Amino acid sequence: MSPARAENDVTGVVTNIQHFSVHDGPGIRTLVFLKGCPLRCLWCGNPETQAFRPEIGSVAERCRPGCSACREACPAGALARGTSGVMLPDTSFCRECAPLSEGRPPCAAACTAGALRVYGTRRGAGEILDEVEQDIVFYRHEGGGMTLSGGEALAQPEFALALLREAGRRCIHTALETCGFVPSETFLTACSLLDYLLFDLKLADEELHERATGVGNARILENLRLARAAFPHLPIRVRTPVIPGVNASRAAVRALGEHLMDMRNISWELLPYHAYGNAKYAGLGRRCREYAVPDGECMKELEETARHFARVVSAEEHAGSCL
Amino acid sequence: MPDSILLSPHEQRLRDEAAGKSNPEREKHPRLFALLDAFDGRPPSIDVERALLFTESMRATEGQPLALRWAMALEHIAAHITVYVDDLQLLAGRCGTDSGRYGILYPELDGDFLGESLARLAENIAAPIHISPENLRTVVEKIAPYWSGRTYHEDLNRSLPGELRPLVYDDPQGFTSRYIVHETSSLRASLQWVPDYEKVIRRGFADIRADVLRRMEALDPQSPADTLDKRPFLEAALRTCDAVVLWAKRHAELARRKARTETDPVRREELLEIAAIAERVPEFPARTFHEALQAQWFTQAFSRLEQRTGTIVSNGRMDQYLYPYFRRDMESGALTRERALELLDCLWANIAQFVDLAISPGSRESGEGYAHWEAVTIGGQTRDGRDAVNELSYLILESKRDCPLHYPELAVRIHDRTPDRFLRAVAESIKDGQGYPKVFNDEEIVPLRVAKGVEFGDARDYAVSGCASVRMPNRDTFTSGCTQLNLTAALEMTLFNGRMLRYGDELLGLETGSPENFADWNEFFRAYLRQQTNLQRHAFVVQGLINRTRARHFAGPLSSLLHDLCLDSCTDIHSDRPIPGGFDSAFFDMMGFATAIDSLAAIRRTVYDDKSLTMAGLVAALRDDFVGHEAVRELLCAAPRYGNNDMYADGIGREMERAAQEFSRRYARELGVMMDVRSISVTANVPFGKVLGASANGRRAGMPVSDGTSASQGADSHGPAAVLLSNFNTKNYDNKEREGRLLNIKFTPRSVAGEEGTRRLMAFLRSFCDLRLWHVQFNVINRETLIEAQRAPDLYRGLIVRIAGYSAYFVDLSRDLQNDLIARTSHDAW
Repeated sequence: MSPARAENDVTGVVTNIQHFSVHDGPGIRTLVFLKGCPLRCLWCGNPETQAFRPEIGSVAERCRPGCSACREACPAGALARGTSGVMLPDTSFCRECAPLSEGRPPCAAACTAGALRVYGTRRGAGEILDEVEQDIVFYRHEGGGMTLSGGEALAQPEFALALLREAGRRCIHTALETCGFVPSETFLTACSLLDYLLFDLKLADEELHERATGVGNARILENLRLARAAFPHLPIRVRTPVIPGVNASRAAVRALGEHLMDMRNISWELLPYHAYGNAKYAGLGRRCREYAVPDGECMKELEETARHFARVVSAEEHAGSCL
Repeated sequence: MPDSILLSPHEQRLRDEAAGKSNPEREKHPRLFALLDAFDGRPPSIDVERALLFTESMRATEGQPLALRWAMALEHIAAHITVYVDDLQLLAGRCGTDSGRYGILYPELDGDFLGESLARLAENIAAPIHISPENLRTVVEKIAPYWSGRTYHEDLNRSLPGELRPLVYDDPQGFTSRYIVHETSSLRASLQWVPDYEKVIRRGFADIRADVLRRMEALDPQSPADTLDKRPFLEAALRTCDAVVLWAKRHAELARRKARTETDPVRREELLEIAAIAERVPEFPARTFHEALQAQWFTQAFSRLEQRTGTIVSNGRMDQYLYPYFRRDMESGALTRERALELLDCLWANIAQFVDLAISPGSRESGEGYAHWEAVTIGGQTRDGRDAVNELSYLILESKRDCPLHYPELAVRIHDRTPDRFLRAVAESIKDGQGYPKVFNDEEIVPLRVAKGVEFGDARDYAVSGCASVRMPNRDTFTSGCTQLNLTAALEMTLFNGRMLRYGDELLGLETGSPENFADWNEFFRAYLRQQTNLQRHAFVVQGLINRTRARHFAGPLSSLLHDLCLDSCTDIHSDRPIPGGFDSAFFDMMGFATAIDSLAAIRRTVYDDKSLTMAGLVAALRDDFVGHEAVRELLCAAPRYGNNDMYADGIGREMERAAQEFSRRYARELGVMMDVRSISVTANVPFGKVLGASANGRRAGMPVSDGTSASQGADSHGPAAVLLSNFNTKNYDNKEREGRLLNIKFTPRSVAGEEGTRRLMAFLRSFCDLRLWHVQFNVINRETLIEAQRAPDLYRGLIVRIAGYSAYFVDLSRDLQNDLIARTSHDAW
């Protein structure tokens, strides 16, 4: 078996593929979301990508009152009507039937209203790249390509690396968005296959970081340093979600900035927290924490602080700098 | 409307105007806005002068050769019709009354039911048209009676074979269409058209006349053919040259008379200049930009007096034929950018006031919103394949962007080497939100023309004409209106054994048997294709009848004398004799393309692949219009749909098109013309839907089908890139039997905002070019604005939206079409 053939056969769990994105790397890009994340950020906007296993989620506005076709179809009866009247998956009983293969689990198949969504399908690297490659016609004039995102893409290391290698073989520009909390060896291997790196940094303080994300930040900061040193020409975009009550202060930004100060070929982007993911928590039968959305004034102030440490890319000039 | 919604510049201006702020462009274009104040927002009125003079002349010339009669009618009109030099205008001439927007009548088309139709005008509340009681009396007493029994429309109606008639017309007189095999030839004397303006501007009618005279002298006096055919043709040409010049000079005389009594010295000078220009052009070659524009306008206005051209005669490649005059005047300092803009504004104002009256029920439904779209084409390539963009291209784009009118219709040609600067200007215009410009792809259109036998130079010199068609001046020779097939009707006939829900037991298609008898998807699809081909077979017969019948009713001496091939062969453009060297590009439209694909894909998925539905269950649900079958409808809606880059659906579309093209390849030659597959709906997707029952894509009975090759309303859920790819997937690039494909895409202003949005749109257009798609156009608007405008039309009088190949004021549209526009997917994310 040729190496290329073997690479194509590696499989992994993908939440979804998003086409025509312009926010995650240069040009127009296809985003591949790999499922599963080692972090549990309190503000996470994509809760459906946290667990490694496939999940069922419901879409409240589609669920019909009085209909229980999904529960009847479920071999474990693992669905229950929540307080809002919407059928919700009961994770402790769900047997996770079939969603990894072709077709849909019985509950989702039985729902004619399309209120049950399957998060996570097992797919092959070659098949993913076939889909990505269809978008080449949209990349070629603006220097776009594929961006791996998550979850944490490198938490499925074999699959993520296979995707990056296969993209390289097909001459597709590659980017990775990572939380950095991965073994350094995997991370550096990935960097060797990348054209562009998006690196998330949340907090400089180790203890606060652990409280907010469930893990400490030592390895994360170390990985960033290693990547910068080993691949000086790899453009790195550091991204910091700005969460009021967590890190939306000049002091927090300054503390992060200290780590970036001496690094070359780095740009920094502050992303205001948004609440778009809240409905998904409800659909997964989970509670979410609510945060205020930082206003323009606050973002401007923090960006000003950040500017002392690195080249800052604010939302308006975002595209210009990417392209 | 919530404040958080990002508005397009167009939406913002409307909002500001509603709040009492004036349009910021007013200062830059004072003359345009002053002209506009005089006619904007008022319903158009009908002028009957042209119809009356035309009728008088035709009555007096019966029995003579048709081309000659037509030319004599033009002479009669040119000598006696009231001429106008509007206050404030710099370009003289109009075809009828100067009381604001106006339309004129063509009784040779619909004279038999003109009186009745005009009396019913008041019913059209969405787009009211005014006719004075005296004018109505003139029509009823002096015009209509002569035409009764003599119109083309009656002749065609009489010639339809019995088996065809129920597919075409809904009543014995043929007033209303059945929209199954719809014919569009009786709405107009000619298909959309582009005259060779350059010839008039560069040579003038005096030189063209001298050429005609020489040809006359060269006739063989012994030859019966020369005497029977060529001499009357050339005599008609001579008379027409004289008519145009006479008509133009009457404007010079009027301007001089007005100047004598004008008290304002500035206006007096303007009037004297108008007089001097009208005295010179179009008789002699234009020397300045102003003269060239006047020559162009006289030509196009006179062409409107000549005949009703479908969607009105187009403006051609304005940035090409006007450029030499623009450049020379700019270089000599005789012209400034401001003055050039002002002159262009004057042309737009003239164009905007002439309304292509939709009086018959058919034309009213297929081109709503006072539809007329006399396309201005810019960009593209030169005849020898160089990029053709020049400074005038940018100026026209700028002028259109500043102009609050939805006229003229602006079309841009792009190709592989279109400069980024131009593409950026195009993207920025699209973002403004008025729907301009629409974009055409040289990389698809030019090679297709070449494959069909056209020289490279002519192929690269095409101009956009009509909503999404193209014409090559001096090369295109086909002028008959064409047919449109209702694909979803073919599917309904497959499900109901050759019948349709609306027409009960009336057999309309082939009896392909009970749908429950099809063993598998392949059998079902084959039956569908048989029904589709059957409608196509009928369409070809109708087209053959149209081609033969028209020649007995229409002549176009002006269009013919400006056409090299017609003049060389002394053949009228509407003749049914082939014109040597001519390009006879006939076509038929596949209507409701996406609706049919989605319905077929849903049947394949639910009935044959998943077996989640029985055929009997499906048929019952369709019969009941899904009432009490909500679960069935949801199941159908969940099937793959066209517009999402999914071959499950797109592959079906490709096969549908292929089958149609193969039939064309086999039988078109019998009609002596090409018969290519096109998919341009204008607004006819609304009436086409009205005759249909519920369809298997979840569409309810009577609702509009999809437009052009756009996705079904709301079906495209994977972003605009997937829409382009689906369009690509359904094309058969190995077949040359293909023509225009209209594609509508709706964006929210947010998705194209800022520099990022501009770059994205540019990349999108480049990809469109790479994919060899034919046409694309955009609405950049918030759904909320459309809903708001339905609720408070007075505040949104100026809201311009893109329909299908043209834009119109939203409030001028019927409720059905407004709802259809709202239902189309807005791409908020890419």
